[in-house]
Amino acid sequence: MVGRLPEALLPAVPGGPGAPAAGAAPPARRRRRPALTPGIVIPAAMLALIVGACFLWPLVYPVPPPVGGSILDASMPPFSPGHILGTDPVGNDILSRILYGGRVSIEVALAVSLIGLLVGGVLGTVAAYRGGMVDTVIMRVLDVLIAFPALVLAVAIAEGLGPSEMHVIWALSFFSIPAFARIARAGTLRLHGQTFMLAARLSGTRTWRILRRHVTPNIMPQLVTFALLGAGVVIILEGALSFLGLGIPAPAPSWGNMIALGQGTLSAQPALVLIPSLFLLATVLSLNLLGDALRKRWSVR
Amino acid sequence: MAAEAGPAPAGRAVLGSPGLRLSGRRLLAAIPVLWGVTFLTFVLMNLLPGNAAQELLGANATPADVRALELKLHLNEPFWTRYWHWLSGVLHGDLGASLTSGQPVTSILAQRLPVSFELMIYAFCLSVLLAVPVAAAAAHRPGGWADRLSMMVSMAGLSIAPYVLALLLIFIFAVRLQVLPAIGFVPLGQSVVGNIKSLTLPALAIGLPLACFYTRLLRADMVEQMQGEDYVVTARAKGVAPWQVLIRHAMRNSMFGFLTVLGLNLGTLIGALVIIEPIFALPGIGQVLLQSIHDRDIVVVEAVVLVFALIVVLANLLTDLLYALLDPRIRYGRPAA
Repeated sequence: MVGRLPEALLPAVPGGPGAPAAGAAPPARRRRRPALTPGIVIPAAMLALIVGACFLWPLVYPVPPPVGGSILDASMPPFSPGHILGTDPVGNDILSRILYGGRVSIEVALAVSLIGLLVGGVLGTVAAYRGGMVDTVIMRVLDVLIAFPALVLAVAIAEGLGPSEMHVIWALSFFSIPAFARIARAGTLRLHGQTFMLAARLSGTRTWRILRRHVTPNIMPQLVTFALLGAGVVIILEGALSFLGLGIPAPAPSWGNMIALGQGTLSAQPALVLIPSLFLLATVLSLNLLGDALRKRWSVR
Repeated sequence: MAAEAGPAPAGRAVLGSPGLRLSGRRLLAAIPVLWGVTFLTFVLMNLLPGNAAQELLGANATPADVRALELKLHLNEPFWTRYWHWLSGVLHGDLGASLTSGQPVTSILAQRLPVSFELMIYAFCLSVLLAVPVAAAAAHRPGGWADRLSMMVSMAGLSIAPYVLALLLIFIFAVRLQVLPAIGFVPLGQSVVGNIKSLTLPALAIGLPLACFYTRLLRADMVEQMQGEDYVVTARAKGVAPWQVLIRHAMRNSMFGFLTVLGLNLGTLIGALVIIEPIFALPGIGQVLLQSIHDRDIVVVEAVVLVFALIVVLANLLTDLLYALLDPRIRYGRPAA
């Protein structure tokens, strides 16, 4: 299951919130900074709360189904009995739609970031390490992708394949890959002149081993911080596609299409826009805060 | 500016400089990118199911009718023939005519581009005018209250989706306060005030998140300049006032990173147009793009994509030229540190 970005990624990196052992470093080594600062813990906890609510709450505490509500329950205000956040104009429970919609947004963000991290990371590292023709070809193709209006591609994919979660992931991955590739390439190029890289090569270490043991751990901090910041952008873009009618198809909820649907009743029922917007904001904000805190911690630029 | 240009007039120094040659090389390198973008669009549009004839006639059309229209629009010809036809047209300065309306693409662009350009420029100016003073105030005393406040607000602004912000602005200013129109566009020729009013909310929706991004970027760079750079120490030692050091020395050097990002960011600005224009019912290029993709109107899609790509390329070129203007080292061909 794809559900937890920070938990899944961070244990691989020293000092992340997923690796509490880093805080209890051997006393012999001078401790520079505590591993878990409030700047890291608070947004990470907020993310865990939102992700946990979306994926676990419906399992533990039954909520009404997010679709197929009765018209008799339509447009109930927040704090109505049985519907804490009220209902929408077709009678669906808003809380349930927020939770199930959040799953979609989080899954898309996670999948796109992982695809970008893996594909873009490998492309960028290989381009920088090999250099020459390989580098030129890879970077030229990515240049075209960067100059290509990303939204055109996303719209075309959604138009051509029909709107669905899978196709949204596809479409958005296309423009996360070049960005990751550029970061990985720049990071690898910086390592090129370093002594330990030279030592590894002189001692006859195989290329793939150098890439795995020496390059990857060194460029991971940049890539992970970018993945966190990028995940926020992806969540926003998923909503943008929904706004154009090209995201997750209508009766099924996603935060983006809930906001888009609420647009029609903005003056009568602003809560329909405000509630999903708040969840969207809280998620993206904590992703940004976490990314920023980790960037400062690892002094990544 | 002229003082740093030395004995040669600034204009000629820029024209004959390695900076310009660099820009020329960049421009040449942009040609394959432009070609790649338009080619990719052509391939992509061909991969989409259906074509303009089917979209135009609807689901109830007889196959014979569709066939006849396909022949008329040359849609039956092989991919490469159609692509070559389009490419040679463009190289001769002919962007073709819309497959669905028959209107020349140039006249569609002439109608729609001014609206989008106005919105882009408005949003861009708003974001820069907001970002520069706020960043300066924040960088003046890192960790001070102005710094903390602006960093908090800008982080929130960065995290808000433009379409959410758009709806929020509509709700506050159009529904509740009723001071600005929620939808519609008033041409500049009709009423200047009305024009600015009709574009203010969309420009804010695009410009505010950008302003937040720029503020953080510029502030971080200025703080770094103020802390580590020798010229800052020199200026301070000479007794230059702190504000002067910040504005005239640190900010001027921070402008390089800032300009690069401004150039790169135009792509984002264009993407925002496509989403924001429909929300405010603005008759701009974003709406044309969405509609023409839906109609499989490949000629119009190509033209819009080409314009977008050209804007990005030209913006980057302009950035390079501004670099040369700002940095004498580039102007005189000495390597920049």
